[in-house]
Amino acid sequence: MSVKSLSNQPSESQRAMLFTAVIVAVAAALYMMCIQPCALSVTQARAELDGLENQQRAMEMDLRGAERVKSRIAAAEAALKPYRAALLTPLLGSWAMRAKSILDPVAKASGLKNNDYNELPVRLLPVPKPMPDQLFARRPIKVTCRGSYATIASFIWRIEKTLPLVSVQSFFIKSQSDADKQQAELVLEWPTKGAVTVPPGTSKPGVKK
Amino acid sequence: MNANTSNLCVNLLRESERRSSSPVRWRVMMPICALLGCVGCLLWWLILIGQLFLVRAQLSTVRFDLTSRKTVHATILSQMATARELEGELEQLSWYACGRQTYGAFLARLADVMPSDVQLTSLAIPEPAAQNLAGPNPKAPPLPGPADISETISLRMMGRTTKDTPVEELMKSLTDPAFTNVLKIVKDPRPAEQSPRIHSFRQDLTASPDGKRFLTFDIEYKCVERRFGK
Repeated sequence: MSVKSLSNQPSESQRAMLFTAVIVAVAAALYMMCIQPCALSVTQARAELDGLENQQRAMEMDLRGAERVKSRIAAAEAALKPYRAALLTPLLGSWAMRAKSILDPVAKASGLKNNDYNELPVRLLPVPKPMPDQLFARRPIKVTCRGSYATIASFIWRIEKTLPLVSVQSFFIKSQSDADKQQAELVLEWPTKGAVTVPPGTSKPGVKK
Repeated sequence: MNANTSNLCVNLLRESERRSSSPVRWRVMMPICALLGCVGCLLWWLILIGQLFLVRAQLSTVRFDLTSRKTVHATILSQMATARELEGELEQLSWYACGRQTYGAFLARLADVMPSDVQLTSLAIPEPAAQNLAGPNPKAPPLPGPADISETISLRMMGRTTKDTPVEELMKSLTDPAFTNVLKIVKDPRPAEQSPRIHSFRQDLTASPDGKRFLTFDIEYKCVERRFGK
């Protein structure tokens, strides 16, 4: 419809067209300036609400499981109690000193004395897959002693009986001319809290009674 | 006038004065449609505003709920982390405890079955091999723990005797179930797989002060593996 044909229209038609154009312009402005931003805000608010509702659901689930978590902690603590009591802890910064303080009474009860205690490089504990952090290390302490075969065997037996986490990693018993003074080297292993603290290949000087 | 003249139709209206015969007038309908569209847009906007208010009200309710339970939730989360840590500790210590080997009872029983003609010069369980922390990929960093969950253990028994019969007797005694919880008895044609494996059994060239001649022996037993796990 050209401008000429519009001007040829009767004045009522011209008014109607003008009125229509104004209303369409208002509708377009309404859409662009009000509806579209408002729809965007609703979408954003809904997305935020969805996120927060998910968070709320997760929180409710966690809160519902609170009692279960407490019972898990209690069960784990109870199961860990004997293990924790059996862990080796350093005495005045020395693992060998602690081992000496634990093992000397056992050695005395077995009839062994003048034992030597030396720290050996720690070994890592094989852990389940996928491998988590190493929470514990295996700390070997070398015990050098002299005594009869029976007292050495008794010493090992007593250690295994009284110290539930100590494991004999290796031993070497060498006969001597005096049957009561056989030479023995035992490597006893304790689990210790914490990962490797002594670089492999190094050892600290021993403690001698 | 003829018949043709009677059918003549004279239209004296200007184009702007002409009216359509259709009952629907576009100059009326067009503004009405536009007005309806505009009212529709207005209603749409109002609905959206209502929705926005509703969603914002829900948002503030949920936010308030989350904020009010934040402290309790943080406590639960920390308890969950504690539970995980404790269970991790327990699992690793259980693995360790499972891999514990005991030899005290074995050594005590060994003295009981030792024939009087046999003298052990040394008895040893050597230190385990160095741990392998290299993963399958040589360029990757070392593993946080050994990949192998078991450690092989062997018992080396060296001694001397006056004749070979007591050693045979000792080896026979060690096949008793009281010892096989520590020692493995493997009859394999391959020497490396055998347990016990006799490394040497020969005449001792040095005689004792009382002039007795001895036979020395060196026997290795494979022991039950130290296996870490549940």
